[in-house]
Amino acid sequence: MKIFIDPPNSMILFDLVERFGHEPLSSMALIQEKVDNIEVDMPPMNVTLDDVVKGLKYAGVEVPSGIRGRLAIWGPMIEAADAAIIIDNPPFSFGCVGCDRSNELAKYRIKRRGIPVLTIEYPTNEEEAKTMVGQIKDFLGGLKE
Amino acid sequence: MSQSRITRLLMISPDSMVTPEQLVRNVQTMAANVSVKETCYGCLVECDADTMKIVMEKVRSEYRNEVFSKVRGYPAGDPRRCRAQHGTRPGFAQLEAEWECLPLIQSALDAFDAGDNDYVVPAEKKPLPVKELKEISEAYR
Repeated sequence: MKIFIDPPNSMILFDLVERFGHEPLSSMALIQEKVDNIEVDMPPMNVTLDDVVKGLKYAGVEVPSGIRGRLAIWGPMIEAADAAIIIDNPPFSFGCVGCDRSNELAKYRIKRRGIPVLTIEYPTNEEEAKTMVGQIKDFLGGLKE
Repeated sequence: MSQSRITRLLMISPDSMVTPEQLVRNVQTMAANVSVKETCYGCLVECDADTMKIVMEKVRSEYRNEVFSKVRGYPAGDPRRCRAQHGTRPGFAQLEAEWECLPLIQSALDAFDAGDNDYVVPAEKKPLPVKELKEISEAYR
């Protein structure tokens, strides 16, 4: 099953989802598509005009283009997802720290989809890490096609 | 996702005794037509999708809970990202944060592999009902 991970660039979530036999939906795969198939030059050019227009489906026109650009990438992934895993209260440098409004909107879209969602706390010690891994393992094990 | 070129990032957990050099040498022997670039945290592996499946199966069996992996958007050594050519490295803060957390994840995975399946289920957070909030407020009036 396709699992949307939040933060969408997290290696720990990507690895754990794959380890437990599911397909993680990550921003890296979509970026790869752009790098390979369209001319993407320097970082400011990563978001094309088409992306911003696509993002209108997920965020209003008054929302800054950066948020719409991010949602143009995350939105289709959320629509394709069968379930989602969200990490709560991560440290500042963990995940897409560019704009918290994008993260809020992504969580809102996940909630609106009504798919099974697992929200987990970022671990700070071994016991919490075991809880995190155990919850992910049980959540993914309980998903049925 | 493109099937002709898959780039994956392999990161060694800080608790592991494996060095990036050992990992690179080993990954290079796992399949033909694999391009491997050594990095400070592990290595970058690049090949087609079918070969990558073989490589990842072998990496998972050989370094079960010591090496973690994710897909990378840009090719290895891409001038737009490679620091050797003064490229930007915007994802490094994220990698550093995850690298610090890997020993915890590794020990948790080791515990589950050893058959210790118990973990503390966190209490579900619920919003405070207005009635209870009112009672608390009145108690301290």
